[in-house]
This record gives sequence, structure tokens and C-alpha cells, in this order.
Amino acid sequence: MTANTNLTKTDDDTPSGCAVVEMRHLKKSFGNNEVLRDINLVINKGENLVVLGKSGTGKSVLIKCIVGLVEIDGGKLIILGQDVSGLTENELIEIHKKIGFLFQSGALYDSMSVRENLEFPLRRQLHLMSKEKMGLLVKEALQDVGLDESIDMKPSELSGGMRKRLGLARTLILRPEIMLYDEPTTGLDPITSKEISSLILEVQKKYNTSSIIITHDIECARLTANRIIVIKDGICAAEGSYADLEKSDDVWVRSFFE
Amino acid sequence: MGKSVLKPLPNKIRRAEIPDDNISRTVSDSVFKKFFLEVSCITTFTVRFFKEFIKPPYEINELMKQSFLIGYRSLPLVAITGFIIGLVLTIQSRPTLVKFGAVSLLPAMVAVSIIREIGPAITALIFAGKVGSGIGAELASMNVSEQIDAMQVSGTNPFKYLVVTRVLSATLMLPVLVVFADAIGLVGSYVGINLKGNVSAYLFFSQIFQSLEFKDLLPAFIKTFFFGFAIGIIGSYKGYYSNKGTEGVGKAANSAVVLASLTVFLIDLIAVQITSLFQY
Repeated sequence: MTANTNLTKTDDDTPSGCAVVEMRHLKKSFGNNEVLRDINLVINKGENLVVLGKSGTGKSVLIKCIVGLVEIDGGKLIILGQDVSGLTENELIEIHKKIGFLFQSGALYDSMSVRENLEFPLRRQLHLMSKEKMGLLVKEALQDVGLDESIDMKPSELSGGMRKRLGLARTLILRPEIMLYDEPTTGLDPITSKEISSLILEVQKKYNTSSIIITHDIECARLTANRIIVIKDGICAAEGSYADLEKSDDVWVRSFFE
Repeated sequence: MGKSVLKPLPNKIRRAEIPDDNISRTVSDSVFKKFFLEVSCITTFTVRFFKEFIKPPYEINELMKQSFLIGYRSLPLVAITGFIIGLVLTIQSRPTLVKFGAVSLLPAMVAVSIIREIGPAITALIFAGKVGSGIGAELASMNVSEQIDAMQVSGTNPFKYLVVTRVLSATLMLPVLVVFADAIGLVGSYVGINLKGNVSAYLFFSQIFQSLEFKDLLPAFIKTFFFGFAIGIIGSYKGYYSNKGTEGVGKAANSAVVLASLTVFLIDLIAVQITSLFQY
């Protein structure tokens, strides 16, 4: 699978309706700053959900709550049918193994080569030690993102788009059920952004992943979203398909699409 | 002096805004508050280190890698510094001993100075500058570029993988480096003596071994473990909890060196007091 910029969604991509992530009255504050006030949200199996909102409205915090990087203050967070508040540390680790996170910066390990970056999660999470098996998985993951030529390079030698793809490959190598993308196209040119958006769609199709995509790139939202929510003042201010929200009566919501 | 342009505040406002205190007291309060907060955070960080250190799994491969990077890569710097210290100390001490007709005591005096104090202290300071700042900057840049978060997301305990291994490596490698620096320092001293005299290596080193006692070696060696531990902990703490942004990386590296160097002197002071209790 390589980045196909002509790939677009079809009606067949509509999710099956089984919830993989559910948030009920979710709250998160930093000091006096109430970032998430009352978030109610459901992400269905196989669905791409795009989250829009102004900078600083807590979009990244929202997905960091899901993966356990930020602890929630109140409300319920249900992942793959399990309420995370009642889980032990080991059970949480098992849940988090099923979630992939593509960081805004790629978060590649600078001291490791491309190959070692991909082998790291295999060794740590799946406890794989066989070099042959790891080699096969690494090769497949790099082919998925069209980076098979760069296997022995260091992250510092890669371009911005390549770093994002490598970050995606490192996440995909563990075959997550849920993918979280934190501004996947930020800082990229329009062509590379389109390639990354197409990769997100391909990942959804190939692995049947459910994704939450935080973005300011409206073209990325148009290409990837099955459903869009808009966050304002710590709550979900609007929800719907791209076509619905584009024609919203609310001027503020519509302004995102202009 | 010209007339002040500042009007005095009405009594009502002054009482309300600055209750019983003056400004300097408020500033010193905040400095003390910051100091105790920092001490409490480092203590909590140290306690967490011991908890994670005991808990399996053990990151043996990363420990070996860090020991190589921290220990082996510091050898040239430590060797050059040790040699120069031995040489300079000998050259500087010679005229004074000549004045008192005690030049024959030069090897013994230099050896005791190097092994008891100068070797461990100077090596620890160099180690704080090279390794402490390196750990601080590395972890801070990992923090800034979200690599620590990525590690956590990929099912790895970043504290155990990054902090425990680095602190352990620093603790284990500094004593080795100090022994090496002491040895090279004695060689430097031998060269220094022979710049203005002719002493055989056998005579020089046999005089050194005759003058050294167990009580000179052991406390000096033991305190280097504490130096290494303090440098590792402070470097890791400053890097792990650095501010986001490139400014945070510079600050973490800088404050790691300053605080680690200061802590080395404090530990040295305490070690000397404890040692003197047993020796005299």
C-alpha cells in the first residue's frame, strides 16, 4: 500500500455502528483553566472522526485522555467496552496496546535508525526477539507508507512528510484497533498533506481501524472524515458530516469550512 | 536630587496590598518556597527511582549501552584532566617543599591529595559538566519532541527505560573514572617530578604506596558513588521535567550542571565530616 492521492471515501466506508470509544460528560482542567467541560462522544468501529476547533480548545487533550497521557478529572471514558476508571495498571496497558497515536511532530527516536524505530515497539510491546520476524514486519510497515528505501536512514535525514509517514508506520506495525492522529498534516505542503490524508484512508480500509483525527486542515477533514465534531468552550458545539457542517446555520461553525 | 514623581499610596490601599510585610520579605519567601519545592520534587523523583529500580523488568541492554556512552566516552576527557592536575599540582607544590627541605615528601603529598580529594572532586565536576548536562539536554529534547510520550504510548515505562538506566550508569561509572583519573594523575605527577629532578618510577611509586593507607582510599572511593548518583538524578530530573520548547532544553542542561556541581561539593563536605569522625 502506498500513498494514493486520488483515493476518496465512498458510501461503503460508513461505520458499522459498534462503539469503540465512548466519552460521557468528560472533564479535564489544568489549574483554573477548564479545557474540557462536558464532552459526550461516541466513535464507532471503522469510523474516521475528525475533530475541529480553535487552537487551545483541548482537541489534543481529548485524544491524550484516551491514550492515558492525560488523566481525566471527571466523567466516563469507555474504550473497547471497558470503563478505564475501574481498570488496573496492567489492564490499562493491555487496552493502550490496542491504540495507536501519531504525534504532531512524529515523535521519532532521534538516536535510532528508521529500522530501530520500528523494531522498538515490537520488542517492547509484543516482546518479539526473532530478527527474521521483525524484519518482515518492518519491511511490510515501511512498504505500507512507501518508505522501504529509507530503512537504514536516521530520522534527521528524513523530510517532514517522510517523518510523518515513519511515525505512522511505527504506530501501524502493532496493528492497533484505534488510531489517534494529532494534526497529521500540520507543516506539510498541500501535496504531501493529501498523501498523508490518503494514507489515513488506506489504513482505515486495510486494517478496519477506527480513527480520531485532530486537524486544522480542512482539506484533510474533507478527505478523511466520516463524521466531524467541532469543539468550542470545552463542549462538542456541532456534529455532522462534512456536507452538513459546511452548510451549517451557525456562522462560527461554517467559518471553519470557508 | 529631583523631586520624586511617585506619589505615596493612600494608607488604606497600602495596608490592603502589602499587609504586614515588606517587599524583600515577600521575595525571600518566594525564593525559599521555590527552594523547598525543588528539594521536595527531587526527593520524590529519587524515591520513584528506587521504586522503579527494584521493580522488574530490568533494562539490562539499555544499562550496558548507557554505561558505555557515559563511562567509555568520558575516558579521554578524564585522562587529560587527571594528567594535567597531577603535573600542575607537583610543579606548584615543589617550591614550598623545597623551602622546608621536604622535597622528598613530594610524591606522598601529591598522591594523598589526588586520591583523597582532588581526583574525586575534579573528576566529579568534569562528569557533572559532561554527563549531567548531556543527560539533562537529551531528556529535555526528548520531552520537547514528544518522544517520552511516544515511549509511554508504545507500552514502555519511560522512567525505567530512560531515567533508571542513566542514573545507575552514572553511579557505577564515576568511581571507575575516578580510579582511572587518579592513576593518570599520579603518572602526571611522576612526569612533573622528573621535569626538575631524576626519580625512578620504582622509587616514586613505592613511596606513594608506602604513604597511602586504607583509610585514604576507601572513603574517597565510596563518596564517588554518591557523586555519580547525585549527578545522574539531577541531570535526569532537570531533563525529564523540563519546560516545553527549545528554551527548556538549554535551561535543563544549564541548571543540571549548576545544581549537580553544587551538590557534589555538599556531598564532599558531608563525606569529609563523616570520615573525620572515624579517623581522628
